Amino acid sequence: MIGETLTLKVAAACAISPSLRHLRLVAADGSKLPPAAAGAHLQLVLNGAARTHRNAYSLISRPGARDAYEIIVRRVPASRGGSAFIHEQLKVGDVLEAGWPGNLFAPVRTARRHLMIAGGIGITPFLSYLADFAFGGADYALHLCCREDEQHVFDPWLAGKSSVSVHWDADGHRLDIPALLAAQPVGSHLYVCGPAAMNDEVLELAAAAGWPASHVHCEHFGSALSGGEAFRAFLAKSGVEVSVGEDESLLEAIERIGVKASCLCRGGACGVCVTPLLDGEADHRDHYLSAAEREAGRLILPCVSRARSGRLVLDL
Amino acid sequence: MLHSDIKSRPTYTQLEPDLSGSQHLLIVEGDTVLPGRLDSLAGTFAPVEENLHTWLVGTQAGGLGLGKVWRLPGVADVVDAFACATRGYGIGDRLYVQGTEPFLWSVAKAAAIIGFSAEQIHLHHAGSLRRRVWCTHCHTVTEDVTTSIASCAGCHRHLLVRDHFSRRLGAFMGVMVDAEAPGEVPAVEESFA
Amino acid sequence: MSIAFKPEETFRGDYSYRNSDAAVLRFPFPFPEDRYMYSVNIEPHVRSGPSDVFLRPFDVDEHYIAECRDKAITLERDPGRCQVLPHMMMAQWDTLELLMENLSADYPEQFSLIKEGDDFGSRWTWINRPLGIEQSFIFGNAETLPCEPFEYITRQAQGDFAICDQRDDNLFMDAGMVTSQADWSLEFDVGMSFMEWHGPVPLAHQTGVFERALKYLLMLRLGQPVRRLNWTMSINPRLDTSPESYPEWGPDRASVTPDNAGQKVHLRVELQTLWRLPRSNAILFPIRCYLASLEDLARVPKWGARLHRVLSSLPPQLVEYKGLTRYLPAALEWLAQHDDGRELPVGTEPGITTLGPR
Repeated sequence: MIGETLTLKVAAACAISPSLRHLRLVAADGSKLPPAAAGAHLQLVLNGAARTHRNAYSLISRPGARDAYEIIVRRVPASRGGSAFIHEQLKVGDVLEAGWPGNLFAPVRTARRHLMIAGGIGITPFLSYLADFAFGGADYALHLCCREDEQHVFDPWLAGKSSVSVHWDADGHRLDIPALLAAQPVGSHLYVCGPAAMNDEVLELAAAAGWPASHVHCEHFGSALSGGEAFRAFLAKSGVEVSVGEDESLLEAIERIGVKASCLCRGGACGVCVTPLLDGEADHRDHYLSAAEREAGRLILPCVSRARSGRLVLDL
Repeated sequence: MLHSDIKSRPTYTQLEPDLSGSQHLLIVEGDTVLPGRLDSLAGTFAPVEENLHTWLVGTQAGGLGLGKVWRLPGVADVVDAFACATRGYGIGDRLYVQGTEPFLWSVAKAAAIIGFSAEQIHLHHAGSLRRRVWCTHCHTVTEDVTTSIASCAGCHRHLLVRDHFSRRLGAFMGVMVDAEAPGEVPAVEESFA
Repeated sequence: MSIAFKPEETFRGDYSYRNSDAAVLRFPFPFPEDRYMYSVNIEPHVRSGPSDVFLRPFDVDEHYIAECRDKAITLERDPGRCQVLPHMMMAQWDTLELLMENLSADYPEQFSLIKEGDDFGSRWTWINRPLGIEQSFIFGNAETLPCEPFEYITRQAQGDFAICDQRDDNLFMDAGMVTSQADWSLEFDVGMSFMEWHGPVPLAHQTGVFERALKYLLMLRLGQPVRRLNWTMSINPRLDTSPESYPEWGPDRASVTPDNAGQKVHLRVELQTLWRLPRSNAILFPIRCYLASLEDLARVPKWGARLHRVLSSLPPQLVEYKGLTRYLPAALEWLAQHDDGRELPVGTEPGITTLGPR
């Protein structure tokens, strides 16, 4: 079980709602895939018309599955990036490169109880959690907050699962988050995955209710993180300057011109791509650097962060 | 000897209420209460008194201003009270413990067994520095060790008491001091009085 | 690949353990330079390196049968050498799968794994020819094995194994099978965080080595295991140098003289590898121990001279921590005759392909 990249083939693709596409991916050569854990993600290399995208998607297949990986991809409105490519161009039989599964959102094995709060497509990591908890017999509850017309979209993966509640924005259907958080016993762990505003709200309420920080876990997603105004970056070691477009990240621009940069999550969480910033002012959008490190202005995570001033100089 | 360069050696804090907590439980080992200390604790915990329970262990000392007060005879009763807890504890609850190291870790371990996280538990060392020592060779626990070298209550070997500490066992490691040259036992010092 | 096992050799009592010439030449000698340098020295665990022990992810050698038997003796005397906290069941199955898949793929003459499926609930049959074991069981159902899955498979593997659970940006040693350790107690350390179980190590904490190593390991990727070599010394070819049995082997340290150091003093090298486990997201930490006497090592002229120089340059805190204080002078005196002061090439390779006569 040693390797870095996988060549996958699209075995099935179908729309489960107007904005959601479900993909089933198998090894292109018919071999077995590496098993993966609950909460794992798969990074796909998507060769779009304008450029290459590397997007990470939560695996919703059962943990340990070796025959196929499954993901659900939401079409990001006005996207010209990876999600548009998957929705408009990818078809059954196409071949994709991918990294081996990574995991930045694994369930905590010592938890007495797992409380999951999902916003819309943020349910995807929890679909693999449910299969894991069913095997281990863990105590859990899943609360899905979504639009009323989306309430049945995920039924195929929730069938037969107890302790799943669906909430939407109408009287009698809203989730009372403060009451839910206040009622949890010692040993509970809270996981939240949804739009940034919902994540922030849940995290604030949990802190206010006295939840220990090590019992609260959040997976950030949303491609809105990486785009912004175009800027320029000078890579001091390589001696090249690169233009970063509106809809690409600094990391993608660095990769586009062939400079090697290490990375893992591509979402500002893991810190693997952290790079010394020699000059310029960064617009930090990561979840990794401490407040003091941001203040000092000597480091940047190029996977999500951008320039506040016109030009950055990186030690790369 | 309350501080050590060894990273497994716990460090302790002064007790003060964590205002983000919802219910607060204060457990005090009676022997370690100096005159006036309970009044001082009552002052410190006044901001959360409405949601405060205090367990006074092995003492008849007063408990004015410490919320709902229970008296328990010994640490074994504290452990039992956690083990048989009929009222569930909440994820927002906080536990504060004052006592000697063996007491602190007996309580912390009993609380951890029912799900308390380390972040919910605040430990304040008071009283004697005596140690609980786990014999690496026969796995017997020897209580109330105050010397740098102690005789194991199980196998009677002379154990050098190291600073390496196991939170799971609530004990320091004891290793035979004269294994390489039997009978060569260094001078015993009163280190943890 | 056939392996000439030495099933009768012992690691206690009469200590009949010996290395063949081939085993000496493939010894993972850990010192590339003349001076001792402490470093994290982590590198990818690829199928290549300066010694043959790196060719396969889980190395099996001529001592396999005898080592498994010695492990069984140690466990019989002290079952506490195997510890698994209750939340580690998923990681137990991960370990069993990783070892069975690698051993059967790399040593098909010795091991076979027949699967009716890959998922939990599938029937698997495991055949271990050197130990004469054939076991059919349901993957994911511990009741279909004679003991829990982690103990089951690590009883059939050389070396020690620890599993670290990852949570709260930290690693916790929440399971282990530890019967050939360099003087640390699993029963005492089980459940400890990364910094806690490294607590007694001198010097390294101040330099931030452990903070950096931990940050690195938290990011360890599935499919990209890493390795490092660690070392200490033992008197006699003894696997069980645990603190538990220290009263038994401690006196041996006082028995070393400049005359017998060549046979008695052994360099003990640990090939430590680290693997992200797929289902549990835990980290498996196998510690594979190799033993060679100073006499064995001095048959490779470069190694005899290099070892003399490295041991002469150890910081005193390290001499104390590794327990060398009592016999290091005698070992150095013995090694001095194999060091003529000439310049040695950098690197750990033996530099020769056959050994002279003993």
